[in-house]
Amino acid sequence: MQKVSLFIPCTVDLFLPEIGEATVAVLRRLGVYPVYHTEQTCCGQPAMNAGYRDQARKAAKHFINIFGDDDVIVSPSGSCVYMVTHHYPELLSDEPGWLRRAEELSGRVYEFTQYLVDVLGVDDVGARFEGKITYHESCQVLRGLGISAQPKKLLAGITGAEIVPLFAAEFCCGFGGEFAYNYNYISEEMVKEKAQHFINSGADVLTLCEPGCLLNINGYLSRHHPEKRVIHMANLLAGAGKEG
Amino acid sequence: MKIKTEQFNEVAKKEIKNEYARAFLGLLPPVISMMRKQVMASFPDPDAALAYGQAIRAEAVTRLPELLEEFEKNACAQGAQILWARDAKEANDMVLAIAKERNITYVTKGKSMVTEEMGLNDVLIREGIETYETDLGEFIAQQLGRPPFHIVGPAINVPVEEVCDLFMKKADMKTATTDPVELGYAARLFLRDKFHHIEMGITGVNMAVAETGTIINVENEGNIRFNKASPRTQVSIMSMEKVVPTMSDAMHLLRLLCRSCTGQKISAYVSMDSGPKKADEIDGPEELFIIIIDNGRSEFYGDFTAREALRCIRCGACLNICPVYSKIGGYPYGWAYSGPMGQVLNPLLLGLDKTQDLYRACTLCGACREVCPGGIDHPSLFLYYRAKDVEGDQKFKGKRRTWKEMRFFDLWTWAVAHGWFWNLGVKWVRPALNRYARAGVIHSMGRFFEGWFKERDFPAMAKKTFHERWKEKEEKAEPPA
Repeated sequence: MQKVSLFIPCTVDLFLPEIGEATVAVLRRLGVYPVYHTEQTCCGQPAMNAGYRDQARKAAKHFINIFGDDDVIVSPSGSCVYMVTHHYPELLSDEPGWLRRAEELSGRVYEFTQYLVDVLGVDDVGARFEGKITYHESCQVLRGLGISAQPKKLLAGITGAEIVPLFAAEFCCGFGGEFAYNYNYISEEMVKEKAQHFINSGADVLTLCEPGCLLNINGYLSRHHPEKRVIHMANLLAGAGKEG
Repeated sequence: MKIKTEQFNEVAKKEIKNEYARAFLGLLPPVISMMRKQVMASFPDPDAALAYGQAIRAEAVTRLPELLEEFEKNACAQGAQILWARDAKEANDMVLAIAKERNITYVTKGKSMVTEEMGLNDVLIREGIETYETDLGEFIAQQLGRPPFHIVGPAINVPVEEVCDLFMKKADMKTATTDPVELGYAARLFLRDKFHHIEMGITGVNMAVAETGTIINVENEGNIRFNKASPRTQVSIMSMEKVVPTMSDAMHLLRLLCRSCTGQKISAYVSMDSGPKKADEIDGPEELFIIIIDNGRSEFYGDFTAREALRCIRCGACLNICPVYSKIGGYPYGWAYSGPMGQVLNPLLLGLDKTQDLYRACTLCGACREVCPGGIDHPSLFLYYRAKDVEGDQKFKGKRRTWKEMRFFDLWTWAVAHGWFWNLGVKWVRPALNRYARAGVIHSMGRFFEGWFKERDFPAMAKKTFHERWKEKEEKAEPPA
């Protein structure tokens, strides 16, 4: 039985644990055995994005120490995977020993849908959803990791679901971590547009592979369009249909 | 030109409410960027064409010193005079000296961002030399006393009624009209008169070809050609990164530039000057000065990360795709260069201390990186600037952050690096945070994260985190055989 190490983003751990549980449920259904290192914390993305490289470097080393021996690491967050695969080698470029470990590790870290489709070769996980679904292409998932076909394949495999297009699906939702509250007046306009495109799509739910965008879009919908909601791909695929 | 980069938020908050400008800006990402994409598809292999252009720019930046010398040698051999300016003041003084030695009373100009960077117009006017911008948009922006709103359409945000008023007052227009053709005609009459008697024309440079000593200008209005062909004296000003190795490199970049800029395969006019008028030629300037300006670029050229910014060819594709620019327009960036292009260039040229918001007002979405024909990785540069600012780097004029923020990240990092402390921290923070929650949702946290909660909610911290749930259930479960 294939063993997979769960890389649960801190946002999921603390605020959206259902996404983590759904990830586990889908993996188990496919006969994969998930393990979880309880010493894991945060990948360091907030420090990296704020310019605190020394601090981000410490987070990177902690991550490498914990996950370093795992063969396959899977995470339900594109931006966290991007942090590990893209920014860790850059952060550790002056420390050859650490750099080697970071580079070796980066080839073994997968975004959740990428793992299901590219590694397991699955496109139907046996999920059911009655209704219309539309997909938001999160920036780090699409442009960072180049992942777009994989989630769409999995969506097409959901029984009962109708997939409808989202206008400007690849436009940023306006999250950007601290950008969302430091430049809220710009961020609000961006998320408002995203919400409007979602509503115009006629879909019942919007899905994505990035908890950051989920917090942002759902945060806006909760205030302005409470009848609408965003559901993480893992939850859709688990068939739970429960938002974070 | 006054530098207003420190007023980013103030201006952006005002501009984001400008409905007229927003209507235009809203079209940029879906329409203009789509036009670019469609015309890029006319390359047999668009990705390869983009990568080829990026490689040319990479080579040009890496070989910059030798290419500039080669360009100087070949341009001089063609009869051009090359002047090297260390900074804006030196360059302005050069233009002024050329004008004064020839008793020039007025000059006309083609659209040139580097002259905006130098603040050339202000200097010339102060010294009593009338200066006329001849690009229609730039002419309007100049008469209004505003900086360019967009690199390609400097006055595209100005309502036609305002243009009418302006032309009645300042461009000798006789009858009021909002017909764009009539307005264009009025500007043409006014400017043709200036061209008719022109003695000195000033232009920028899109590309300088090292191999041949040729300068290339790209435009759609024909005004740059007038500025180059009509006067006795032509002064063309370029920032030092405009040089490319060969004519064949220039031709490929030209194809990319026009596609990226306006969604055209080729612009209406492309002019190439290899030196001034030769003895057997019937038109062209009698003397050609090419001013190559550094203005701080050599300072960071030694930094291999920062100098990637010099790959920019000023096409504006990044502005058209940027989700932030398309909400606030060009004014908040406060200087010659706006959008992601300005966010990359302005901090290096003006200092990180004076451009704080430029490299922070970005979600790192990477849309600009994807379209950049120069191959600039804008998000990585913004992260680099943020890091240099946090470090208080002297060369880049980093400012350092508040003591409070720095201590916060230190504490946070200690928690991240110590799993047990992190998990203990969760137990402390949860009740403090969830104090604000109603039915599992936080609508406001008072003065904390005000920006977030203005239009958005946030989930309460889970009663049981994933970590706690796992510990309870899964850890006790038997591993599979």
